[in-house]
Amino acid sequence: MNWISIIENTVKAFVGINAVYFALAAIGLNVQFGYAGLLNFGQAAFMACGAYGLGMTSQYFQINMWWGVLIGLGFSLVLALLLGVPTLRLRADYLAIVTIAAAEIIRLVVRSVRFNEYFNGSDGINEFSGPFREIGNDLIAPAARNYGPSWTVPGIDWTIDVEFTGRQVWTLIIGWALVLVCGAFVFLVMRSPWGRVLKGIREDENAVASLGKNVFGYKMSSLIIGGMIGTFAGMMLALDRGSVQPDNYSRDVTFFILTALVLGGLASVTGSIVGPMVFWAVFQFTDVVLREAIGGQAISIGNIRVMDTTQIGPTNQIMIGMLLILLMVYRPQGLFGNRKEMAIDAR
Amino acid sequence: MIFALVALVAIFGAPGTSHAQEDDERTVRARINNRVAGENEPVEGVTVTISTGGEELDSAETDENGQVEFTVQGRRDYTLTVDRDTLPDGIDIEEGEETNTITAASFTSSSISRTFVTGESLVTETPFIDELAQRLVNGTRFGLLIAISSVGLSLVFGTTRLTNFAHAEMVTFGGVVAFVFNVTGLSFLGWLPFADERGRFPLIAAGVITVLLGGLFGLALNGSIFGPLRRRGYSLVTLMVISVGLSIALKNLFLHRFLSRRRPYADYARQSAMEFGPITITARDLIVTIISFVVLVAVALSLQRTRIGKATRAVSDNIALASATGINSEQIIRIVWFAGGALAALGGIFNAVDEQVSFEMGAQLLFVMFAGITLGGLGSAFGALLGGFLVGMFVELATFVVPSELKNAPALVVLILVLLVRPQGILGRAERVG
Repeated sequence: MNWISIIENTVKAFVGINAVYFALAAIGLNVQFGYAGLLNFGQAAFMACGAYGLGMTSQYFQINMWWGVLIGLGFSLVLALLLGVPTLRLRADYLAIVTIAAAEIIRLVVRSVRFNEYFNGSDGINEFSGPFREIGNDLIAPAARNYGPSWTVPGIDWTIDVEFTGRQVWTLIIGWALVLVCGAFVFLVMRSPWGRVLKGIREDENAVASLGKNVFGYKMSSLIIGGMIGTFAGMMLALDRGSVQPDNYSRDVTFFILTALVLGGLASVTGSIVGPMVFWAVFQFTDVVLREAIGGQAISIGNIRVMDTTQIGPTNQIMIGMLLILLMVYRPQGLFGNRKEMAIDAR
Repeated sequence: MIFALVALVAIFGAPGTSHAQEDDERTVRARINNRVAGENEPVEGVTVTISTGGEELDSAETDENGQVEFTVQGRRDYTLTVDRDTLPDGIDIEEGEETNTITAASFTSSSISRTFVTGESLVTETPFIDELAQRLVNGTRFGLLIAISSVGLSLVFGTTRLTNFAHAEMVTFGGVVAFVFNVTGLSFLGWLPFADERGRFPLIAAGVITVLLGGLFGLALNGSIFGPLRRRGYSLVTLMVISVGLSIALKNLFLHRFLSRRRPYADYARQSAMEFGPITITARDLIVTIISFVVLVAVALSLQRTRIGKATRAVSDNIALASATGINSEQIIRIVWFAGGALAALGGIFNAVDEQVSFEMGAQLLFVMFAGITLGGLGSAFGALLGGFLVGMFVELATFVVPSELKNAPALVVLILVLLVRPQGILGRAERVG
């Protein structure tokens, strides 16, 4: 088993782009679910808003990519209103049902042939990220070089290189900066009177309403803010890949983000950032270990094939599902949350 | 007959004069041939338009030789367009082939000709009423399917207030387990009646076993996860997130065992359609529809008439009050999980008979089922039957305007409209929820 490669991959996943976009999406989801108790199961749709906002600048609008940031945020504002208006006055599960359905429909719409002109169907959009990459090239050039620290473990003959290409480093710098800005914003806003009301709504909606607060308005703004932070997640994913693919915004993505958030700890900014990092490190670790363990061979028990290379992904995802169940049952506060804050209940 | 449109370039007339100027007169001819059994027949009386740079220059009708002739000034790009609407009945030209562009460079002589080939029209206009009849039949099948699949979802919600996102996987369970009994085979079961030596059952026997296992699967989920956690006082949101985790785990378990291919059952996979007037339906779909309808009536009657059915409705209405009258509510909840799991499995098998087995077949139906039970009234048993049927029918009828890739999208429209207009659904009782 190649432990050097396992360690390198795990460390890269811990700080890599997947952790970045999951962290952004989780910070947003935390504003909705962690602080306001809103079950948004369609965070992937908000991410798609950001990604397609950028992508459509070249595919449809034929304008500079940077307008895409505004377009993406505009899309997610519209989406939040569309999802929130019918559901936020109702019980919590209605929002969950509507968001899960809307996210799936949005994915089907952007990948359908009928709307090729706007979204380019299942091929996705590939040519929009030029302006972003050019700035990176100017600042960190040459893009072809690799960057990253390298350690030599004393005693044994191990050299561990955590290397990213120049382009990845540029994306990571911007991504982590966004994570810090959004994290700081949420941290501050939740200590403001506005944030306290939001947490009050999570604990007891009627009590807050009886104080004369506009509960619907607070919930709506939390949905919008959380969705917009999720929009940045979609943008970072699109900029890193240099392409927008409809299937990157599936239901499973939302569920994995939810798992990463619960792992880090609901209603905790630290949790919503560290959770995704740990999530991806663990995911990558088990993936590489399984791959190394079977070494391209299929493992069978009796005549039942338990593990071959195509079954590694599903195996990993089964473990994610189990992780979510076990966390909710035994440690609902995750790594950094506060158990007392986890008294969320359906209304 | 397949449309064959070949743009033949033929050079008519005398060779071009060597001192041709840019602005001299040129002749552009268009000919329309209808190809029938390899023979070309000229098509008369079709309007052809010539334009350049988006500007229409002239238009004319084809003569008895199927030809039309334009005189133009100079070598430029010209576009010939056949007016589809003037083509005789039963003759059509392939989409996109009704225009033909002549570039300036292709003028090698004083005249140039293009041929359009038409064919027998494949698009036979079905009268609207026939189309509607066919879709009503399809809608009945799909509506009944959604109705029986979602009873469990609604009843579990009614009795325990849990929105079970893993219900989709209970539907997939039916499709996949029936596949295992029908196609894969379990060799240690080879001694059983109906089974062959590799332990494969005919689909009907496999289906019966699977429905029972589906019920037991529901019982197991309640007994191992949702029941104990509910009694320990876990909040509903926590349970909902746990059902999401369960859904991820189960879906990927099916993927792990089954991979991402779509696969048919061994029986009834191919059938020729029977025709009843304007309606075509396979015997398989007809029988599935009839069984679904019988099951639906049986579920409705047992809810209406039997003691257990009445007790179930009582627990759905008000669990505390029902318990106070001596109903064993835990027993009722177990029955609901069993019946819901069995019906979901049956729905899964019926869906897979039609669309083959895949690991995410249930997930694709999940929000259609949600739309159904929301329309009918969350938690109401009859509501699930009625709402599921209506949404399924609506989705099928909406294919008049909605492309098939987005077939399930209208369910979302129903969902949002219901929540805006009547959030308690058709049969639900209005209650203050926030």
